[in-house]
Amino acid sequence: MMRIKPYDFMMKYTPQTDWIEGHGILIAFALFFGGISGGLYLASLYFDNLVGMFVAWILAMATGMTDMAHLSKPMRFWRMVLKPNSSWISRGFILIWLFLGCAAIQLAISYWAPGTAAETVFKVFAGIAAFGVAIYSGFVVGYVGAIKLWNSAIIPILFVVAGLTGGMAILLLASQGETTRQIVDVATAMVAVLVVYAVSVAIYLWITTYESHVARDSVMLLLKGSIAPVFWIGVVLIGIVVPIAIIAPYAFTEAAQTAAFIIGAVFAIIGGVALRYVILKAGVYAPLLPAE
Amino acid sequence: MRWGMAIEQKRCIGCYECVLACKAEHFLPPEIFWNRVLIGERGKYPSVTKLIYSVRCNQCADPACVKVCPTGATSQREDGIVWVDEDKCVGCRYCIIACPYQMRMFYEDGDTQYFPGQELTEHEKVGRELYPHQEGIVEKCVFCKERIDSGMAAGLTPGVDREATPACVISCPTKAIHFGDLDDPNSEINRIIKEKHGHAFHPEYDTDPSIFYID
Repeated sequence: MMRIKPYDFMMKYTPQTDWIEGHGILIAFALFFGGISGGLYLASLYFDNLVGMFVAWILAMATGMTDMAHLSKPMRFWRMVLKPNSSWISRGFILIWLFLGCAAIQLAISYWAPGTAAETVFKVFAGIAAFGVAIYSGFVVGYVGAIKLWNSAIIPILFVVAGLTGGMAILLLASQGETTRQIVDVATAMVAVLVVYAVSVAIYLWITTYESHVARDSVMLLLKGSIAPVFWIGVVLIGIVVPIAIIAPYAFTEAAQTAAFIIGAVFAIIGGVALRYVILKAGVYAPLLPAE
Repeated sequence: MRWGMAIEQKRCIGCYECVLACKAEHFLPPEIFWNRVLIGERGKYPSVTKLIYSVRCNQCADPACVKVCPTGATSQREDGIVWVDEDKCVGCRYCIIACPYQMRMFYEDGDTQYFPGQELTEHEKVGRELYPHQEGIVEKCVFCKERIDSGMAAGLTPGVDREATPACVISCPTKAIHFGDLDDPNSEINRIIKEKHGHAFHPEYDTDPSIFYID
């Protein structure tokens, strides 16, 4: 059965389907894992949390595996390092490998020989690579000029902030065995990042409406169309409002409330997946001909 | 040398012969189209203009698909033809995402046939031997580069000699499609584009297409 009727082809707004429907949903998870992997590593560096760094390494592996699972010819994956001069997927693939290598060495040094100069050096290298892993997925999407909703300079920034939000959420989960002071510090930082994340989403959507008619219609699809329930419930309510509402009261009164922090963190993580989903889902191509 | 097309829309009758010729030439499986005919309308009754565009990969001089391909599977030849090396493609589909004209297709299911549940037709059987399509690979129009290459090797001129000219061009019953070298200032195609004010399809995408349309 034809997915697109021949006479309908590019006659109206045509949603991109290759990176969201069927197997394509893996791209949303790859973007998500990449973002939170980099964000978690950077947050763990700041709070000096070795467990968080290790989980970030695992998540970077998940990024690469999810990317590969989306490929129809996964055994040729090594070819994806061949075009870093022009392709953001190629650059991202290299950054993931760099991060995996540097972070693995750093984790080993931090575990067996902490406090050495080598540890600091590899933390810096892995930190730079982690930032690259967090931001590259934004460039993969933002570089696509054909989809006006994505073709925005703010997308990479939004993806980094979203990655940092998810990373902080995982760090909050990983910090539950730590002292009350440390847990509250992470929770307070997460609330701050959530606020920045909320502002970033709002600025991105607001500016995008001025980019072009297609971009504005895509934003309207997000806010009022068929994707609106996922955006408002998944991204806004579950991903931003609920985590802030649950975590902020305890964070600001410096009372570590394990259940509240865990629920808030899990909600923020789910919201992060929803953000990547709605952005991919709302991407449409402009028609080549007017339909009527 | 840069191969290009000029398509005279006033001559095009929307018969889809170019689509069928392409299907036959490359033994394209069901659901795979390397070219299409877009038919639309502009204006309101009583002054309505019918629009017919025979479209295919524009073989852009500045192609987005080549830039985003992470493996180099999509590349551009010296004559401007953008093609996909089936043995290098990993199937990430970034090129499909990046093409503003959406002129690439992903060959997802290698088992599709024109008459499901029945035997393959003789044409399909021959096609699977002569022109095998790899499953899980991105496909697109290549200006019939096989015809161009073999024709030129035989001393023929693409755009002039049938054997060296793309199938959609020679099959057009109204001769609406012209083919030739855009880099040759004396070529027939350049004369037509210049005299009849040929223009690129959606030039706002900034990809410098090699196909020109004449209103």
